[in-house]
Formats: sequence, structure tokens, C-alpha cells
Amino acid sequence: MKRRGIPSSAAERVLGGPVLWTGLAGLTAFALGPFVWMLLTSLKNRQELYATPLRYLPDHPTFENYVEAWTSPITPFSRFFLNSLWVCSATMVATTAISVLAGYAIARFRFAGRDTLLLIFLATQMFPSVLLIAPLLTQWRALGLIDTYQALIYSNFSFTVPFTVWMMVGYFSSIPRELEESAMIDGCSHFGSLCRVVLPLAAPGIAATAIFAFVVSWSELLFAISFTTQTSMRTLSAGLLYMVGQYEVQWGPLSAGVIMSTVPVAVLFTFLQRHLIHGLTAGAVKG
Amino acid sequence: MSTAQSALASRRARPLLTLRARSLLTGYLYLAPAALCLLATVAVPIGKAIQLSLYNDVLFKPQEYGFAGLANYIRLVEDPVFWLTLWNSFVWVFGSVILQFLAGFAAALLLHQAFTGRTVIRTVMLLPWVIPGVVVGLIWEWLYQPNYGVINDLLIKADWLNDRVAWLSNPDLAMAAVIFTNVWRGIPFFAIMLLAGLQAVPDELYEAARIDGAGVLARFWHVTLPLMRPIIVVATATRIIWTFNYADLIFVMTSGGPANATQITSTYTLMQAYANLDFGYAAALSVVLLLIMLAFTAAYLRITKGVEETG
Repeated sequence: MKRRGIPSSAAERVLGGPVLWTGLAGLTAFALGPFVWMLLTSLKNRQELYATPLRYLPDHPTFENYVEAWTSPITPFSRFFLNSLWVCSATMVATTAISVLAGYAIARFRFAGRDTLLLIFLATQMFPSVLLIAPLLTQWRALGLIDTYQALIYSNFSFTVPFTVWMMVGYFSSIPRELEESAMIDGCSHFGSLCRVVLPLAAPGIAATAIFAFVVSWSELLFAISFTTQTSMRTLSAGLLYMVGQYEVQWGPLSAGVIMSTVPVAVLFTFLQRHLIHGLTAGAVKG
Repeated sequence: MSTAQSALASRRARPLLTLRARSLLTGYLYLAPAALCLLATVAVPIGKAIQLSLYNDVLFKPQEYGFAGLANYIRLVEDPVFWLTLWNSFVWVFGSVILQFLAGFAAALLLHQAFTGRTVIRTVMLLPWVIPGVVVGLIWEWLYQPNYGVINDLLIKADWLNDRVAWLSNPDLAMAAVIFTNVWRGIPFFAIMLLAGLQAVPDELYEAARIDGAGVLARFWHVTLPLMRPIIVVATATRIIWTFNYADLIFVMTSGGPANATQITSTYTLMQAYANLDFGYAAALSVVLLLIMLAFTAAYLRITKGVEETG
């Protein structure tokens, strides 16, 4: 308890010193260990990968697994990557636009059924996504959208929109409405004051919302495997699973694929973790 | 939630009626896209799922397609695997959530202390939570791999294990193995939620307790825990719901096997739709899943209401 002044009891000195540092070391090792192992695996060649006894560090680190995964004609990881990039970017842009408008409306306008609507948005997050698979599959098939990006993007809305609307309501509510009122007195329309006053102030929140939508769609698996049949339409998650299903598992290229799928979300998250955490916990902490 | 509601409650001074009507219209206009999205991707599909559950609809048996009444639900009640999956779900949810909570709380307490490099460690620690479920599943499948997995190797080197263990294909161990993976993934969630709760506890309360002679444990028990009750309830309940619905990890790691040892209700539903293409039965299962979740949510909302009133 360092930050509250000089430790006063023996218990506090032990808790603040050895216990703290051992705990932190253990925590970090536990969180990072599996990644490190996967990274080491991805840098090993075939012999080192399947050596007995197990070899921990690669003697001759190589990027051949990355090259193989990226260029393989049977499991084209580069194609999966681009598919994911496109589906997630489109989901992100559309979700953000939709939730900015809806969040603003809920935070600022008083209308009948608003509380019910908020509750519906909340309840939607509790629905199992397996519930949606059979009906959505029937729906997309009837519309001829199987094996299209649209089917995946639209399906992603089912879980991104409800949550991001809640996040946006929180951000907009924290912006004093006097600012908009004075803008409107100065001659701005509702939409004008939204664009010129509210959006700039809410920019960090909007960025967090956008990243959130991107990251959760990046993880999406069940819709991706259900609504696409062609290899060329697989997203990263679906593609990784497809790599496992192809023949005996090729852990070399697969581990390279795992690392490549992790890096984009890890980087995005690192940049925006403060805002994301704020958005996620805002609803749950009082005061 | 509370910030949103307090802002909702405070309306501005009553404007002119026409202006009010116009702003109302604008409000509805802004809401329309979100409402449309939910209608098309959630509301209509749920209606469709209920309808599907009353039909015999197996994709590769189109000649048997037709209205089946409650046949799917009767099959569900008589299906021993369904009851097994309910029990497995229970083990999966509570095993995962309890361990995640305990480890997450410990992590939150550690991260609440001031030390150099706190931001870095906090970011690193959150990684397991942001990466895709498939990635988590594959990483741990590799760690658990009987011959080349590092877990067996380390346990044998530490003399805790004599022979290599097939963690994911042994019916007695598979559930524990997937739960452990899920715990790894879920600790950060509890850690950030509870850390936010810890940071909201005013320092003066600790000072006052300390002046009154309370030790570390007494302060934790009488100051920290009571003040954090609301966030503990919210975080735990959302996590229970989420874990109950979560199918990706088990689907990737074991597909519910071996011999349904890790089959939870949501993966069973998924397997019926995805592998067996039996949409009617899958829909019936998912409707039951939804009902269980609604019952839990209703109970949860009552409990949180109680928490907010007393706390």
C-alpha cells in the first residue's frame, strides 16, 4: 500500500513488497506464456517443432511458416486476412454511424418507449448467438446472400449495435447539453450542433466504440463458418479453423496464422485500452 | 447505466410545442437505422427461430419438411444428451466464473497498487481477453498437445506427472482443461471491472478505518467488499450469461467431445445446426436456451435493483 504513505504494519510491508512483486510476475507470466510459446513455435522449422525431447528455443529461427501460411494455395491466409479486414472495417464504419445517431437520440430526446428501447438493447446482448444461426442462415439463403460479405456484415450488427449504442449513450450523457443549446441559439440546427459541437467532444468515445466494433467482429466465428461455404470467402477465424480441418494439423503454419491474427487486435487494443476500459466499465461503476 | 439514466431523467425546460414535435421526429429519425438493424438481425430471426422449432426441417431431408407441432420439444425432453449438456453447462459456467472471479480479484488488487510500469503490465495482462476465441482455442490445443505440448513437458520435468496425458481426449479431464482455458481468457474481464470498482472506493474511508485501528484484512473485509458489492454483482451476472452462451472455445477445442464430456447446451445447439443441419431441433434447443437466459436475466435485474436500493 505504498501510495497511501509509509507502510505502517508488517503485514502491509509484506503485501506491498514480496507478495506484490511475486503476484505481478506470476500474473504476467500466466497471461503472456501461451503467446510466447506460440511465437516460439511459429519460428521453428519442422524438425525442431516435432523434436523429442521438446526443444524450447528455435536454434535457427525462420519465417518459413509465415511465408507458407500467407501464400498457401489450399488455405490462403492472405485472402482470409483481407476478408476479415474488409468485413470488420465495413462493420466498424456502419456500426459507428448507426450507434452515434441512436446513442445521441436516446441521450438527448425524450420520447415514448425510450426506457423500453434501452432495455431491449441491453437484453439483446444476453441472447445466445447460436440462437440466430439457423434463422439467419435461412434468411440469407432466401435473399441469395450466402458467400457474400454483406451476410457477414449484417449479421455482425446483431451483436455490435446493441452494445455500441449503450456505450454511445454513456458518452453523450456525459457531455453538458448547454453547449449544444448555445450552439443552437447561435443558429445551428440539431444535426449541425451534433456535428460541430457534440461529435468533436465525443471523439475519444466514438473512437473507442469503433475499435470495439472492429475487435469483436474480428473474433466472430460462428456466423463466418455458417454463412460462407467457399474457401475464398472465409474470414480469419473461420480460416484458422479450416486450416485445422484440412489434413493433420500443421502446427507450424497454423501457429504463424495465430500470431498474425493476434497482432492487429493487440495493437489496436493497446492504443485505445484506456478509452475501451472506460467504456466497458462506465455502466457498471457508480459515481 | 446510472449516468445514462440520470441524464435521461433531467429534461430541459419545456420548449415550444412545434419545436418539440420536430425534435421528437428528429429523434425517431436518428433511431431508425439502429432499430432497423435490430429488427432484421435479431427480432425477425428470433421469431423465425420460434417458427422453425415447430417444423421438421433437416436440410438434407427436404422431403420430410413440414409442420411438426411440438415434436422437436418432445424430442428434447426425451433426449438424454440434452440433459447432460445442461449439467455440463452448469459445471462449465460456475467452474469458469468462480475461478475467473477469484483470480481476477487477486489481479485487480495487485494492479490497484502503485508501481512503475503499471500501464504496461495492465495492457499485457489484458491480451488474453481481446484475441479471437479461435486463437485462444488453438493456442491451448497446442499447449495441451499430448506429445509436443509444453504443459505435459513441464509437468513431467517438475515430476508432477509420470506419463504424457491426453488432456482434451480424456473424458475425465477434458472439461477441466477447457474450463482452465476459459479461466485464462476471462481473468482480465474481472480484473478490469473490479479494478474500476476498487478505484471508485474513496481513500478517506481507508484512512478512517486505519485510524480506527483496522488492519489490512479488516479494511478489505469491512470497507472494500461492501462498497464493491454492486460491481461484483453486475460483473458476475454478465459473465455468467456470457459464459453460458459462449460456444466458440469448446467448439474449436473439442467440438463437445470426447463422448459429449464437454458438450454444453450452446455447443450442442450449434452442432445440431452446423454439423447435423437439423434446423428444427436446433431452433427448439435455442428457444429453450433463450428461455433459460431470460429467466436468469429477470432474476438478475431483480437482484441488481435490490442492490441499488440498499446500496
